[in-house]
Amino acid sequence: MSDNDPQTETDGSGPGIVAPDDEVPTWRERKERTTGLSRLTYEYFERARREDQDLRQESSYVERDVLGFPSWPHETVRNLAIGSVFIGMLLFLSATMPPHLGDPANPAETPEIILPDWYLYWSFGLLQLGPINPELTILGGEKIMSDELYGVLANAVVFGAIAVIPFLNKGGARRPVEQPFWSSVGVAGVTFAFTTSALAVDNLLPIDPNITFDLTFLLPLVAGAVSYAVLKTMREGYMYNLNQRYYRLRPPR
Amino acid sequence: MADEFVKGFAILTVGLLVWMMFASWFNTPSFYEAQLIGPGPEDPTTYEAIALIVKDAMLAFAIFGALTFWVIIPASRRAREYYATN
Repeated sequence: MSDNDPQTETDGSGPGIVAPDDEVPTWRERKERTTGLSRLTYEYFERARREDQDLRQESSYVERDVLGFPSWPHETVRNLAIGSVFIGMLLFLSATMPPHLGDPANPAETPEIILPDWYLYWSFGLLQLGPINPELTILGGEKIMSDELYGVLANAVVFGAIAVIPFLNKGGARRPVEQPFWSSVGVAGVTFAFTTSALAVDNLLPIDPNITFDLTFLLPLVAGAVSYAVLKTMREGYMYNLNQRYYRLRPPR
Repeated sequence: MADEFVKGFAILTVGLLVWMMFASWFNTPSFYEAQLIGPGPEDPTTYEAIALIVKDAMLAFAIFGALTFWVIIPASRRAREYYATN
């Protein structure tokens, strides 16, 4: 054991974390490292990955269920960075764009177009389902409920479907290919949201309102069927088998 | 690859933000008509003319800058790799 042996310290500790004085880079040398940030990021995540790997190997668990990054600092720093970008964009636009002050609201005048905000168009479209409100023969061709109540109940049906779906499918799939049926159900639902939104503004569309009404229910079915066929086709092949092996780690069901 | 993406994305974002700022001042005659792409001022003063030039320059910078980092540089790298190996 010589004095130059780097593995041995007089206090019994291992190789020091603090570099010897003659190896500490000067500020000039630090500034000259132009690849600092990307290198630092790479080393940071590589070290985190290594620590994770070591923990797995030391652990008494055979395999951990969840693969992920800790919320502090990884997720928090990333979310702060993303949030800062959006806050900066908002501040920039609000500081530099000319402010718009619209005409004051006139309570004595009905606006030409009455519509809710765009994200509620789908619900507004559901209120226009009068043409499919059934006229029952046993009631002598009368409707069992008014078109307005029918539209409101349609909203309840949509909310009920959204509430029930988590109980039918727990969401164990990482990617749409793994569960083509439920993926296509999702595609059909999103398409239905768009088509009912279009139905809400059908008087502004350059399409015949009857065609719009039919498309409202046909397009979701078509989109769901097409996505089901595409996803079923994607289940076969080399890449799918490879991914199936690679993504063995998945959240608990 | 990821670095090139975020460079192009930063150029696109900054360029479009600055373009949007000038377009909202000079090409938005009213809230109820065409916004950001409306007709420019009839008789621009010197400062307005400068601002309009900067606005067009930022739009071109956003589009061509993003295209450069997303398409041209990766394509040229692929081409260089291809011709280096063959």
